Amino acid sequence: MVLHGNELRDKVLEKYSAKVYRNRKQHVLSIDPEASNEITANVRTIPGIITQRGCCYAGCKGVVLGPMSDNAIIVHGPIGCSFYTWGTRRHKQVETDRHGEHADCYVEYCFSTDMQEPNIVFGGEKKLKKAIEECMAIYKPKMLSICSTCPVGLIGDDIHAIAKWAREEYPGLMCIAFSCEGYKGVTQSAGHHIASNQIIRFIVGTGDHKPQKKFSVNILGEYNIGGDGWEIERILNRCGIEVVSAMTGTSCYRDMKNAHLADLNLVQCHRSINYVADMMKDKYGMDWIKVNFIGVNATKKSIRAIGAYFNDPELSARIEEVIADEENTIADEMEYYKSKLKGKTAAIYVGGSRSHHYQLLLQDLGMSTVLAGYEFAHRDDYEGRRVIPDIKVDADSKNIENLKIEADENLYNPDRITPEHRAELEANEDIDLNDYQGMYPDMEEGSIIADDLNHFETEEFLKALKPDVFFSGIKDKFVVQKAGMLSRQIHSYDYQGPYTCFQGAARFGHDLVMGLYVPAWSFIKAPWKNQATLVGKLGGEV
Amino acid sequence: MKTRVQPLVNLTVNPCKMCMPMGAMTAFYGIKNCVSILHGSQGCSTYIRRHMATHYNEPIDIASSSLTEHGTVYGGEENLKKGLTNLIDLYHPQVVGVATTCLAETIGEDINRIIQTYYEENPDKKEVTIIPVHSAGYGGTQFEGYFAALTSIVSEVEMDTKSHNKINIISSYMSPADMRTLKDICEAFELEIILLPDLSENLDGVFKEKYSRLPESGTDIGDIKQMAGARATIEISNMDFEASPGKVLKEKYGVPYTRVNVPVGLRDNDALLQLLCKIGGKEIPQVLKQQRGRYLDAMIDSHKYNAEGRAVVFGEPDFIISMIRICEENGVMPMITATGSVFPHLADYVKNSIDDIAERYFIEDYMIADDVDFKDIETAAKHYGCNLMIGNSDGRRIEEQLQIALVRRSFPVHDRVGGQRLKTIGYEGSLTLLDEISNVILSRKETTFREVIYKAYYHQEEKLETMQMDNSSYKADNASCNIDNTNITEITEPNQEIEIPMTIEDIRRQEILAKTATHPCYNCAGHKYATMHLPVAPRCNVQCNYCVRKFDCPNESRPGVTTKVLTPEEAFEKYKVVKEKVPNLTVVGIAGPGDALANFDETKKTMELIKEYDPDVTFCLSTNGLLLPTYASEIISLGVSHITVTINAVDPKIAGKIYKHINFMGTKYEGESAGAILLSNQLSGLRILVAHGVVCKVNIVSLKGINDTHIPKIVETMKEIGCYITNIMPMIPVEGSVFENMPSLTNKEIEKLRKDCGLIMKQMTHCRQCRADAIGTLDNDLSLEFRGYQPQATETTDAMYRFAVASRNGMHIDQHFGHVKEWYIYEYKNDSVSYIEKRKVDQYCEGSDVCDDKEDKITAIIETIADCNAVIAMRIGESPRKQLEKKDIAVVVTYDRIEEAVLKAVHSLIVDESKEISHSNLNVNE
Repeated sequence: MVLHGNELRDKVLEKYSAKVYRNRKQHVLSIDPEASNEITANVRTIPGIITQRGCCYAGCKGVVLGPMSDNAIIVHGPIGCSFYTWGTRRHKQVETDRHGEHADCYVEYCFSTDMQEPNIVFGGEKKLKKAIEECMAIYKPKMLSICSTCPVGLIGDDIHAIAKWAREEYPGLMCIAFSCEGYKGVTQSAGHHIASNQIIRFIVGTGDHKPQKKFSVNILGEYNIGGDGWEIERILNRCGIEVVSAMTGTSCYRDMKNAHLADLNLVQCHRSINYVADMMKDKYGMDWIKVNFIGVNATKKSIRAIGAYFNDPELSARIEEVIADEENTIADEMEYYKSKLKGKTAAIYVGGSRSHHYQLLLQDLGMSTVLAGYEFAHRDDYEGRRVIPDIKVDADSKNIENLKIEADENLYNPDRITPEHRAELEANEDIDLNDYQGMYPDMEEGSIIADDLNHFETEEFLKALKPDVFFSGIKDKFVVQKAGMLSRQIHSYDYQGPYTCFQGAARFGHDLVMGLYVPAWSFIKAPWKNQATLVGKLGGEV
Repeated sequence: MKTRVQPLVNLTVNPCKMCMPMGAMTAFYGIKNCVSILHGSQGCSTYIRRHMATHYNEPIDIASSSLTEHGTVYGGEENLKKGLTNLIDLYHPQVVGVATTCLAETIGEDINRIIQTYYEENPDKKEVTIIPVHSAGYGGTQFEGYFAALTSIVSEVEMDTKSHNKINIISSYMSPADMRTLKDICEAFELEIILLPDLSENLDGVFKEKYSRLPESGTDIGDIKQMAGARATIEISNMDFEASPGKVLKEKYGVPYTRVNVPVGLRDNDALLQLLCKIGGKEIPQVLKQQRGRYLDAMIDSHKYNAEGRAVVFGEPDFIISMIRICEENGVMPMITATGSVFPHLADYVKNSIDDIAERYFIEDYMIADDVDFKDIETAAKHYGCNLMIGNSDGRRIEEQLQIALVRRSFPVHDRVGGQRLKTIGYEGSLTLLDEISNVILSRKETTFREVIYKAYYHQEEKLETMQMDNSSYKADNASCNIDNTNITEITEPNQEIEIPMTIEDIRRQEILAKTATHPCYNCAGHKYATMHLPVAPRCNVQCNYCVRKFDCPNESRPGVTTKVLTPEEAFEKYKVVKEKVPNLTVVGIAGPGDALANFDETKKTMELIKEYDPDVTFCLSTNGLLLPTYASEIISLGVSHITVTINAVDPKIAGKIYKHINFMGTKYEGESAGAILLSNQLSGLRILVAHGVVCKVNIVSLKGINDTHIPKIVETMKEIGCYITNIMPMIPVEGSVFENMPSLTNKEIEKLRKDCGLIMKQMTHCRQCRADAIGTLDNDLSLEFRGYQPQATETTDAMYRFAVASRNGMHIDQHFGHVKEWYIYEYKNDSVSYIEKRKVDQYCEGSDVCDDKEDKITAIIETIADCNAVIAMRIGESPRKQLEKKDIAVVVTYDRIEEAVLKAVHSLIVDESKEISHSNLNVNE
């Protein structure tokens, strides 16, 4: 018997003890248009369940700070954590800022204080200070970040005082401390928030390089995995829109300083960076719109929304030209990939917003999503921002600082568009002005939503749902492959990509077809085996 | 021999090690039906799973007690207990490994006690063997974590002491494929063994129809319990630990214990087989004899190539020792033996082997070092001229940077597939490894030997000549100043073809001609007049392949480089100060460090300010010409009389090779399209300027193999347009630029080009390729003082200076002041640098912890060099710097070749002195 929806959920979860069952049941549900579909998210992980979640340090150092090219990050702590975030996300970076100037690039480096037992016992401040001196003597970075790992918070090294000392000692250096100890919060998400706070506190607003073009934007929450950011920027530039900064892929401190001078913020990954968008709205009156450059239709919708915001006929005409031209370039390819992929199903489990974004690209290719989940999302990423007032703030979230933002005396300008135009935009369903609807509206009835999906549940759901492809990360990749199912890493793209905008969509289609139809899958059954005993569909079998 | 490098004492750059929990988790993966939990934040387990999965290409399940802030305050006991229950209920393991992390150890979690109470509270879980390991991330590396876990396993598991016929084999950290080899060897001897741990299947599984959540293979807990009753323990490890699993079994249960080296290479395989013979009482099996024969044959096949190997061997000490031994047997010279672990005894294990090879090849200098990072290894690899690396995939950055092939072994291998299948042990594994090493050497040879031999033998004379020419190029330049500055009428010649309206334009032209006569960039007579370049233009819209712009490099002297970018207001202030002291300052130029026109607002503002103050000043601009048409009319109305445009090609195809990209009107163009846009703008811009009587100079950077034959064509085009003069310049190779390794044209070639082109139009031959802030070097701090720049003085000073140089290798300044054991003393006299002697000092700084307490020793160190004018070191602490300054000994911090560093130091000393003597004696030319 094939189970669906909540029946399937109950079947999978029934192996848990009563207590765990009650807990997990609030994290897993099936979309029911009649029900409220309230989910529990961003709460503590159940110990001992093999979670895929990472820690606060991963979110701060690994995700948000990692891609900034001219940011020399010294990890203050024992060596392990420094090593494990060294180049792991394979961001693409170049050594110039947006004005063509050389900006140092430290993305390939791993700086650490490599704390040893005596440093834990007697404190590591002295070592950190000296490490900064050494870093300044050799590399002379313009920006230097200090990220702390677990023991540092416990032994009480005051990294913020050291950052202050460094700023005074080295004029022109922006030294920022990030207290992102692994135990803070419940997932990477805490780290995103901590990083965002410091970006607003120290970086945004300190530059004065005004955009050159009539229309300018920041792209928030785009980390340039596989070159995604470059492709987005190419399209925006073609449309005549200047990108002032991207946070934080394809970016550097020198660009991000000027972010407040742009006209509009575009939010790609809502989860990791909505803090910055919100704070910039409060401080500068800048609007933001939720965009998604993953998927052809999603990209079209996004750039048209930008056009609508600026309300300039010339710009809108150029946008339509670009859309027509780009679509034309990939039309034949997309047609072919669609013919190979139509009707296939997918499950997606990634960190934040990608689990939503990729569903739209799959729709372009005629595929549907039977299960989607986030590692570290909050309720608003599932249900939309309207639920934010109802989210209970628990002890773990309270521990993460919430910056009090006041309007900037000189730069605050809430009236960038006329009230009539604003009302028009707010009424337009295709434009998410200062809002995000969450993942739900794009999901089909009966499909499964799972928050903090763990190793056990992953296996059970895949066994039951038998999707053709599972999009996730390296940790579950091999379980899936060993089940004869195609796995695509959506964290690192298996070092392929970019998958954004039009040409990226075609590349994604290519990689997916290539994966599903590789001859290897057809040899799984040994010739001396009379009967197929393999559970699950083979990728290439039609 | 070097036994320790410590250029960076406190900052680790690109670590050559991981942490203890990683190793502990790996060890537990070799136990059947075992699953592990890390007691700490969940990031630890996530990161370790990620790294192991990428290497082994297998699913890795490691749980976490997911400690949060609450746990750090109230203790993590609750979380760990909950975690154990959930893990056991869900996975039904027989064994659970519990390892601590930084967090748990720092808050002082007593996991042994927690497990004890857990058993008491959950009698139904008694069947599960829960094994605690203390593995603080700061306690050691993955190798230490691995053995700590094994030691815990044999200490904590309740043993059955009944004796039996099996043999315990405790294996070092090796790949699953190697563990299979180890099992095969024992099977060939028909020995019954208990292998701890057994990673062979769990971390290198087969494609199966059903994925098993628990490791189905590995050492059975039943077997582990029998280890106390075994006939003997063989511990396979290159290192002798105080508390190793084998020793624990011996001390606690009296099991005889033998340690053998990891069987890599001939000797260590032979030793293992002999031991197995003795224990098993059997002949060496034929199959292994065959393998030995084949391996020996391979050693002989490749011996003549291996002698050329100059290897970097890095990783965990246990792995390194094996690699050094196989290198030794095959005549590969390990120039660098490096580990990230703190392991001062490394030399005890490897020095004899390395000396043995070194003596054969008359090599005196090599390096053995512990506690190093990849930054150190990279620096050393360059220094020692290595041609091969053996280690994990973290060497890939050096591989890419220095083009030294990496033979991937050990853990982790993240950038290739098949880390789990790498073979290293046994005769067969050794053979695979040796072939790979030899093939790296051969591959390098195959792709480079023609060029190398040609250069070394056939082309040597020419090469030597080139080197000499390069050294003297500046002097030659200075001497040949052959523009006829008296013949002003000649200047009008290029403009003759252009129709210029009489009247105002004509008057303007007369003025310009007069200005040209006093402009040093256009005229030799300019030596009498001073010019001043104001660095107000930081941005550039063209990326030339020969250029890397940096603001903060005071050591380089070439266009595009400046110490500090000034705002227009600061530039104006500076102008006023200089003008007051240098009345003959007639020319103000804006030449960067980026492009004057890409920063037009700043450029314009600067000129306006100065013009208001001093209407007679001659302005000159230097630009790549991309925005020339845009600003031409404004430039003219600002009164700019002279403009220099750098044009390196008049063919878009050639230009495409020279420019990486341009940014024009907000769009980035590359290749030919960049070249075409730039060229058409340059030409149309020049035409406008020439038509308005602006004197145009065209700089041409000669680029060997790219535009050198094309240059006459450029000059012809410039003549056609009506430019005044062209300036063919040698390229100065800049580290980090695309053309960094491109040879410059020799002085001879440049001169020939200038001569040939001189037939076409006027050539400039006295160019000094100034920095963007030339008036001499402006002081780089905010003070408005400036320093005189006297290149001639540098070359002819009579003064004698003595320097104390901090160098390890005697070639480079590569040592921290505090680490100097021996000073190299150099003298500068009569234009030359000479080595005088070495002076021994007591080393006072052995690391951050002890350094601070021994400040008085600095005094001792300084005593040894009290007669020197300056100290040159790679780095220096604040306190010694102050003490030296008190003693009037200057401090120069640099990384450079000694001779060059000394010359630069002399220069800076002279500049300092001259600043004190006189400010007015500026002798400035472009």
